[in-house]
Amino acid sequence: MKVLVVDDEPQIRRALRTSLEAHGYEVTAVGTGEEGVLGAAEMSPDLILLDLGLPDVDGADVIQRIRAFSDVPIIVVSVREGQHDKVAALDAGADDFVTKPFGMEELLARSRAALRRGGAEEPTPSVMRYGDLTVDLAKRLVTRGDETLHLTPTEYGLLEVLVTNPGKLLTHGWLLRKVWGQGYGTETTYLRTYVRALRKKLGDDASAPGLITTEPGVGYRWVAEPTG
Amino acid sequence: MNVRDLVHPGRRATSAQAVIIALALSTVATALGLLIDRQGDVIGVSFYFLAVVLASAAGGIRAGVIAAVLCSLGFTFFFTAPEYALRVARVQDAVAAVVFLVVGSVVGLLVARMIDERERATERERDARLLGYLATKLLSGEPLDRVLDDFASALIEPFELLRCIVSATTEDGVAEERSIGGAGPAGPTQTLTISIGNVSFGTLTAVRPVGGRVFSDDDRELLEAAAKQAAFALERARLDAQVRGAQLDSETSRLRAALFSSVTHDLRTPLASIKAGVSSLLSDDVAYDPAQRRELLTTVLEETDRMNRLVGNLMDLSKIRAGALVPAREAAAIDEIVDATVARMRPSLTGVVVRLNVRPDLPEVFVDPVQIDQVLTNLLENAAAHSPPGGEVQVAAASFRDAIQVRVADQGDGIPEAERERVFEAFYRGDAAPERPGSGLGLAIAQAVVVAHGGRIWIEGAPGGGTVVVFELPVKVGSA
Repeated sequence: MKVLVVDDEPQIRRALRTSLEAHGYEVTAVGTGEEGVLGAAEMSPDLILLDLGLPDVDGADVIQRIRAFSDVPIIVVSVREGQHDKVAALDAGADDFVTKPFGMEELLARSRAALRRGGAEEPTPSVMRYGDLTVDLAKRLVTRGDETLHLTPTEYGLLEVLVTNPGKLLTHGWLLRKVWGQGYGTETTYLRTYVRALRKKLGDDASAPGLITTEPGVGYRWVAEPTG
Repeated sequence: MNVRDLVHPGRRATSAQAVIIALALSTVATALGLLIDRQGDVIGVSFYFLAVVLASAAGGIRAGVIAAVLCSLGFTFFFTAPEYALRVARVQDAVAAVVFLVVGSVVGLLVARMIDERERATERERDARLLGYLATKLLSGEPLDRVLDDFASALIEPFELLRCIVSATTEDGVAEERSIGGAGPAGPTQTLTISIGNVSFGTLTAVRPVGGRVFSDDDRELLEAAAKQAAFALERARLDAQVRGAQLDSETSRLRAALFSSVTHDLRTPLASIKAGVSSLLSDDVAYDPAQRRELLTTVLEETDRMNRLVGNLMDLSKIRAGALVPAREAAAIDEIVDATVARMRPSLTGVVVRLNVRPDLPEVFVDPVQIDQVLTNLLENAAAHSPPGGEVQVAAASFRDAIQVRVADQGDGIPEAERERVFEAFYRGDAAPERPGSGLGLAIAQAVVVAHGGRIWIEGAPGGGTVVVFELPVKVGSA
């Protein structure tokens, strides 16, 4: 697995290189946005870890330029920003956002999740299991234990989008456009209502979530790992 | 004669008016005397006495004396033999005329003086009332322009002014000029300086309309007194401003000193642990067993988190100071923010039991979710830090009138009532627990954020001891 690290801080590059190499990744580290775009094109990495505060090019521009030719998973690794910067990076095409300073465990977990999505050459299995929860994408059937859950079409649409983008931080606007349609994007109140209803039916506690986590002001993330 | 002259007859009548009053009353007395009893000396004399007293009362001393002279002449002319001649046949008539002149003059003098005294007393009382009123206006503590307006308009009526102009120089050298009253062409005008000793604070200009009375000595005296009042008020305002400036300076430098000591102490402490831990691990002298290595590394990790929190708080504080903490508001659900914050913080809240009591059907708030998350994070960190091991931290949210109230309660020792406001000051740590971890910034930042959202935050005592921090956010304010 090849990882491209784009960060202008040599210490961060060194720490990431050491840690990632110890976990078996092949690491290339560069310090500017131009080198980042070039590296993405030339070495076809499996994952890009990108700092937003680069000296030469704005982080969101780097993402857009890479997205012009590649679907490689991009995790933004940046110091604490307001929700607008996060949303801008995610809407530009980033897959996830990890705030500096981060724990290596968290970064590795996010990286694994992103790689799983990126390396999804094999089609998503039609039946997903998360503990006692089963989502049958082919039959559009959701069961919990022996009980079949009755989801409204919108609730099911939302669940489907979430489980097929596991681990990815999905912005409010993206979810609204994906589930409700292109004309939507700002109706976060709808979205909240449906997420709340879905959580209730799936039996997920928002304050100790096992399935869907909330990133206030940004969006939601499906965090459950499939079991079997 | 205008209104004011009628009210002040004793002092205000001119010579011509005095003569007219004396003549009129003497004539009436003569006529009455002649009408009732041509020969009756006594009745004639008594009417003349009445005339002198009335003349004194109505026209003052001068009118009284003139009336006394006229009446004694009238008495001699009409009522003594030979009649219709200014001569007297009898000695006793001559004596009576002289005695009448003296008595009449004295009585007139006394009456006039008595009335005059009373008038002066009334006037003094009124002047005192005016000055007292001015003093309360001037010391009301309202903004300077308002105070000057009130002051100027209070002078208009008693001094019959067309307009009154007060110009004052404020403590920072800015001239403030307030003009109250009508425009119109200026009549008699009086300008005074507002000063104490040789320190000048400005000027007071009183303008009467065209045709108005010239300012008398009394008017000037009273205006001087009013100007003096204004001078005292302006001096006080100047001193107040100086005191405030000094307080601000000392507050700023106190904060800077506290910031400096906090930064050096709170950043160096975790840094020391990190350096000690990592350099130990790098050392070749000792072979640490896995448990010891883990112990050292855990310390490093915890201390890094602590430094990260402090740096975050310091950044927030500097944003607040720079006025850059502008909320990026959007419609948000408080239950969602509470849930997300608690979910994110659970790993670090292991020592306490978190209980949520948040209604899911609360109205939406118009807030910056990240900033409110920050408020909750700070409150939860505080609650956990002050909880006994295994204590319960309760987060409740409910709607209250047009606001959402969020309460974070712990089962710690509580905060004495006297300290409940001070804990929101930056770098304040309770006297009881000066060595508690934390920079003393959490509540200050929480307060700044809540206030920036148009809300309020305060501390309550929990029934069984412990602290409840309550913050209130308006529902959907500015959501249009």
